[in-house]
Amino acid sequence: MATATFFDPESSGFQFDNYARNQQLVKQGIKPPKLMKTGTTTTAVIFKGGVVLGADTRATGGNIVMNKNCSKIHYLAKNMYCLGAGTAADTEYTTRLMAGKLELLAMSMRRIVPVKSAVRMLKQMLFRYQGHVSAALIVGGVDMLGPKIVSIAPHGSSDNAPYLAMGSGSIAAMSVLETNFRPDMTAEEAVKLVRDAINAGVTNDLFSGSNIDICVITIDGAQVIRPYEQNQPEVLKKANNYTFPRGTTTVLSQGVRKVDYHIVSTEIRKTDEEPMET
Amino acid sequence: MALSKVCGLDESWESYNFEAPAPEVSGMKLNQPRLSLDEFAVGLSMPSVDVNQKVVQALLEDESDVQVEHQKVANPRALFLHGTTTLSFKFQGGVMVAVDSRASSGQQISSQTVNKVIPISKYLLGTMAGGAADCTYWMRVLNRQCRMFELRNRERITVSAASKLLSNMLYGYKGYGISIGSMIAGYDKRGPGLYVIDNDGLRVAGNCFSIGSGSPYAFGVLDTEYRYDLTDKEAYELARRAIYHATMRDPYSGGNVSVYHIKETGWVKIETQDVSDLFYKDRGL
Amino acid sequence: MNPFNYNGGVCVAMKGKNCVAIASDHRLGAGRLTVSTDFPKVFEMGPALFIGLPGLTTDSLTVVNKLKFRVNLYELRENRKIRPHTFKAMVESMLYERRFGPYYVASVIAGLDPETDEPFVTAMDVLGAGEVNEPFAVAGTAEESLLGLCEALWEPDLAPEDLFETLSQVILNAVDFDCLGGAGATIHVIEKDKVTTRTIKTRMD
Repeated sequence: MATATFFDPESSGFQFDNYARNQQLVKQGIKPPKLMKTGTTTTAVIFKGGVVLGADTRATGGNIVMNKNCSKIHYLAKNMYCLGAGTAADTEYTTRLMAGKLELLAMSMRRIVPVKSAVRMLKQMLFRYQGHVSAALIVGGVDMLGPKIVSIAPHGSSDNAPYLAMGSGSIAAMSVLETNFRPDMTAEEAVKLVRDAINAGVTNDLFSGSNIDICVITIDGAQVIRPYEQNQPEVLKKANNYTFPRGTTTVLSQGVRKVDYHIVSTEIRKTDEEPMET
Repeated sequence: MALSKVCGLDESWESYNFEAPAPEVSGMKLNQPRLSLDEFAVGLSMPSVDVNQKVVQALLEDESDVQVEHQKVANPRALFLHGTTTLSFKFQGGVMVAVDSRASSGQQISSQTVNKVIPISKYLLGTMAGGAADCTYWMRVLNRQCRMFELRNRERITVSAASKLLSNMLYGYKGYGISIGSMIAGYDKRGPGLYVIDNDGLRVAGNCFSIGSGSPYAFGVLDTEYRYDLTDKEAYELARRAIYHATMRDPYSGGNVSVYHIKETGWVKIETQDVSDLFYKDRGL
Repeated sequence: MNPFNYNGGVCVAMKGKNCVAIASDHRLGAGRLTVSTDFPKVFEMGPALFIGLPGLTTDSLTVVNKLKFRVNLYELRENRKIRPHTFKAMVESMLYERRFGPYYVASVIAGLDPETDEPFVTAMDVLGAGEVNEPFAVAGTAEESLLGLCEALWEPDLAPEDLFETLSQVILNAVDFDCLGGAGATIHVIEKDKVTTRTIKTRMD
């Protein structure tokens, strides 16, 4: 079969067919558009018998909040979750890809994949892309060696510690962690600490905000609490119902303060639903 | 003195000693004389520091953000009313002036009801294109200058003289990033007058002009249909249609089209029409 | 310049009660010139599945053709209609594949699940990042205005007719303040048994 130049449905990996074109556009003054980012405050803490992961839920595009309730706690394996900060697409795909690989690995090894294996795979992947895949991750989980949290920077370096913070709100979060962290806390104490640390990010960092999500992982399994805490100010709740009366179109001439529009043409078409074969 | 009366100043003003030490007012010593001659200065005060060459350069060149000492500064030009369509032409019945009414900053529409025709006197109109603030400020200065001319010389200023006043003032600020593209149209002792002025100091007389981002489209209509012997009605229709078609093609023009007619007896506003209404009227919707 | 501003255009979609609606404007520009006022950016991907692709039009058209090709192959292979969330995964992976040389298109997907009739709405950036649990999705040159209007005007459980009114007002008011959008709008209201397509009157300047 001839090589599929334009499209190969079975191809995998990154495609670079637009790369030269886009570089040319930059030369002509057309810059790449803004990407969805998760400015983010993420923190993780080890307590006696497990780990607690926490994140805010704000997604930004440039200077505006694009999503007030996005999920930054990504599934990796039954015993392992990952917090993502950076470019939204990168954190999402990196963790999703890794979740698939870990599942396959667990099936072939017939046992729980250790957290350090996942970390090694992630950092090797990120290193390969030299920081161009901008995902700042914290992996947390419990395996046969006990609870473990590791942060991975976009360039592929990793960091082991009993408490970690990442993202643009990490400075605020770290100040809370540094003050209040104690070894061998109970689960409740750890959740409270993580909540306070994220809250510091939410209140002090412009690119973090809205709700707080928390994930608690012990040897018995993982529990994602989403939302753990909602931060929607009272003023954001609607005082009015803004439904427009039907046929707003036809009553425009009455001079109500609305923007004029009329139906210019209407086309009603039945969807041709074919009988499903089973 | 007649001038001081016109300016609303009483006789005592003339004998006011500007150099004298400031009087005590309820125990508080005033450092400045109450009336400073600087208040009568025409034009802008010059920047006290050197105008950053980079900023000026960027102002004149493109609309991208400016990098000034490691800091990204939004190009002030992006805040200007660059998108506009204005036109003016002389014909047997006098001078027609027509403008759109959209103000935009970047891609955002800030207003659809801007008045881009500024009356300078009963016989003189100026059109606005470029920076809104620059246009209004300099038109106000011109307005005052023209009035002063009238008071001093006991006769109306000619269109030629008025446009030259503005042009000369703008030339003094050449290179400072002022953005004005204006037509000065009017009727004087020599008949109808029409001049184009811009911030580089350009001043040209002519019969038929259009300025702004929509001007290529307006010229397309104008050049096809323009004749000196248009009737008044034909002239109104041409001016309206030229602006209307420009607003359809130019994303930075729109809103209403306003048409003015300057006759020997002074200027008259003929009409203001919503261009979207014109569009749907054309199609009978 | 931003590639989204070259051709201009917006898309917005909303969930209602047992229905979804998706809308786009009609303007096609080329820099400072309006080329066409009859260019909707919403494309049909199935009987009750639509995708809106505002952005660089050359890429929108490439992407829509590639997607239609993949959807056809999928439906032939699987012998069933594609579900919206499957389609979303298809678009996502196609966009993220080009992480280092993206197509300059944002996407808004709206549809009803052919099996459960569940409404589905999502928006993605050029790399394929997006959320699925939002009641509305926006993209294009007036993105910020659209987001604000949706936030203010959307109500839960809107009937198809009310959803049409709300979505119309959202897109109308957003493009009225956008130089690069507008010039007509098309709204598709997708229900279980029919799709109603309406063209509405907007400002044309």
